[in-house]
Amino acid sequence: MSERRFGRTFRSLEGIFKFVAEFLESSGLPAPAAFELDLVIEELFTNMVKYAPHGAPEIEIGLTRLGPDVVIVLRDFDVEPFDPTRAPRADVGRPLGERPAGGLGLHLVRRIARDLRYDYRDRSSTITVTVTTAPGL
Amino acid sequence: MFKVRPGPGEVLKLIGRLDASEAEGAMDVLLKVDHSLTADCSELDYISSAGLGVIMETYKRLHARGLGLRLVNVSPHIRNVFRYVGLDRVIEIDQADPSHPDS
Repeated sequence: MSERRFGRTFRSLEGIFKFVAEFLESSGLPAPAAFELDLVIEELFTNMVKYAPHGAPEIEIGLTRLGPDVVIVLRDFDVEPFDPTRAPRADVGRPLGERPAGGLGLHLVRRIARDLRYDYRDRSSTITVTVTTAPGL
Repeated sequence: MFKVRPGPGEVLKLIGRLDASEAEGAMDVLLKVDHSLTADCSELDYISSAGLGVIMETYKRLHARGLGLRLVNVSPHIRNVFRYVGLDRVIEIDQADPSHPDS
């Protein structure tokens, strides 16, 4: 498993994308799989940045290869619970002008992820999401 | 890194990665557009929901003034992101040029 901590800011995204690319290369997984992994991680990471501004200064991201799948674990420390598996679903069938703002990021995560789990204990949120690197998206 | 480069006529070329760290700057540029827009996405490598938000707001602003927004040379990855959130039914999106390496 590759694991690294990133500062609670959108400016961390560039470093996160580099971390993902290095992981794919060292794991022998196809480089184009970075698109889905980057997207899922960005959406979950930026949610943590936006909705828990007073959490610990860094958020931990772990990546593990399981065959063609990658298991992503995001751990956010000293935060209130936010369960993405229970968040309201975006209604993407409604006309643009009638859609409430937000919700698209988690919609994309749910669309891409094979599995999405949430755990909260000791004021820490852990999101575990499985993404396949087989062609699809 | 995300950049917008002017093209011929009403074309703007979107280049790089339109993520949450780049969305504000992208919005600043696209807010200055006051004509129907063709966005050439042949060098757009990545988009997240933050980038979709920029495109949606641009579409809504132009549409309200009777102007149009069209995305051309869109790679399959990026087209699918638009499709997943139903924006391919709202915004005109042309497939990637066959010569584009992602197509």
